[in-house]
Amino acid sequence: MAIIKLLRTAWDMLSEEQMQQHITTGCEDLDHILRGGIHCGEVTEVGGVPGIGKTQLGIQLAVNVQIPVEYGGHGGQAVYIDTEGSFMVERAHQIAEGCINGILDNFTDHDRKILACQEWMQPNSFLSNIFYFRICSYTEQIAVTNYLEKFLKEHKDVKIVVIDSVTFHFRQDFDDLACRTRILSGMSLKLMKLAKTNNLAVVLLNQVTTKYTEGSFHLTLALGDSWSHSCTNRIILYWNANERYAYIDKSPSLPSASAPYSVTSKGIRNSTSHCKRVRMM
Amino acid sequence: MLTRFRVEGEGERSSMAENDDLGIERTASIQNPTKPSSSIGARVRATHDDDEDEVRVSLRPVLPHSSSDLIHQEAARALSVMDSFHQPWLTGVELLDDANRNKHVLPTGLEGIDVLLGGGLREGQLIEIAGPSSSGKTQVCLHSASCIADKGSVMFLDTCNSFSPNRIACMVNQFSGPLFKEAKERRLERIMSSILCQPIYDIFELLDTLHQLESTLKHTVKTGGYKICLLIIDSISSLIAPILGGKSPQGRLLMVSAGIVLKKLAHEFNLAVLVTNHMVGGEGGIIKPALGESWKNIPHVRLVVSRDQQSNVFTATVLKHTMRASGRTAKFVIHN
Repeated sequence: MAIIKLLRTAWDMLSEEQMQQHITTGCEDLDHILRGGIHCGEVTEVGGVPGIGKTQLGIQLAVNVQIPVEYGGHGGQAVYIDTEGSFMVERAHQIAEGCINGILDNFTDHDRKILACQEWMQPNSFLSNIFYFRICSYTEQIAVTNYLEKFLKEHKDVKIVVIDSVTFHFRQDFDDLACRTRILSGMSLKLMKLAKTNNLAVVLLNQVTTKYTEGSFHLTLALGDSWSHSCTNRIILYWNANERYAYIDKSPSLPSASAPYSVTSKGIRNSTSHCKRVRMM
Repeated sequence: MLTRFRVEGEGERSSMAENDDLGIERTASIQNPTKPSSSIGARVRATHDDDEDEVRVSLRPVLPHSSSDLIHQEAARALSVMDSFHQPWLTGVELLDDANRNKHVLPTGLEGIDVLLGGGLREGQLIEIAGPSSSGKTQVCLHSASCIADKGSVMFLDTCNSFSPNRIACMVNQFSGPLFKEAKERRLERIMSSILCQPIYDIFELLDTLHQLESTLKHTVKTGGYKICLLIIDSISSLIAPILGGKSPQGRLLMVSAGIVLKKLAHEFNLAVLVTNHMVGGEGGIIKPALGESWKNIPHVRLVVSRDQQSNVFTATVLKHTMRASGRTAKFVIHN
């Protein structure tokens, strides 16, 4: 069977999958239900209502992927494709600072001072490892998806591609819906291929709306059924009594589960009220 | 492969000679239907030109020494040469015999689905599983792969990076029963080494892979290598969705040819083909399987699955089946 290229047995892939490193989200509970974090080699869609923290999560992942290998990270670079203009450099700087301080907290005072002076531990160098693309129309989005193949060959350290948000330019002004479906499915296939061949994580941020079916409301992603099959994993972020929760909606290997998280000045972290709940028990 | 038989010479009806040995002369019979009492024996020379795929037969009249038995023998041999270039006609009895002996039923391991399908996936058939997102389609594929890999090889063509070896290992260990740790480990290795996975992101890559698979299987049949009994494509709709629709019919053409190649592979090499499809909105807000009207007639069996309210229980409904009534439903459970 070696005649067909790229064909591998599940046994060979098993050891590879077990060694696969995941990208931490910054929140331990969320990492726990994801069994480590966002998977490389897969397309993960994150959907949520506006204000829930999708862009915050996207920026956090773009920073966390740069954590050096010695401290449990990937030491890689990130590509951030911004379609709505929601990326704020000052916030990215803040999150990078929070991430660096988190690493430094593990060291003694003495080591900390030496480490903090290193050039790569400055927030600015973290920012320099994020490649930022600003997209203003759907044609630009298709163009950048096509360009990424060449870009990633030249920048082999890129370990995550964040698209925020993937469906924004397709929701308005599209007359021919069948054409839109074709373009989106083609784009999702290309992203799947990029994720697999370069072994990086692709994170797509998407809007969510509520749909009323069979007497109950439930969350559903924008662009509905035609887009829903174009990701490997899906995480839905939602509000539950003033707390933010993440729910695994679709995954080939993870069971459905929810985890709370919070958005702090340092970035995405564990939910603070979680500690209170434990104490009451 | 288009093969042309060119006869140089005369004769109202003539049969061709074997061409395995190039240029060897054989005798064949030529009968003149208007004068049944007379028959002219002829020496036949057959050459096979590889470049042109043409068998040239030249006839030279010869004295009628050959007996009628020899003539009949040669005629039969010549006909078999022609048959090897395309599928012969089979009687119903031969087809039934083939179905009973070669086309086994492969259980998926999920009770509800096996009951609906009358035992499981049948070799020689194209089975489609459609369903909305996160309704268990990939889980059914992974479960079938882990269950059937025990008996034969499984080939998994993955278009959405959802082939998870860990999940397969989990499922294999679930029904391994009471075994020692080493025996379990060896069983796991044996089963997982029979599951072959390839990522595919293009309809043309798919057609290319299927053609390569066809030639590999033809070769394996002769040498007696290990046998593939299940081919899974998860999901075929994501390969076809980017090209389907619009003004040109090329998308539909590629979809239908993929369907034809899959069914041909299934019948010729006795394998079951399992494909997944997603759902789209239809009239009145009811969702229906994607890929449209042209695709509806291609699979032999079509199932629709859905998940019950974020639980581990799923429901499957039969949309189309070659041997059973449609509309029946069953529930099945997938454990974590």
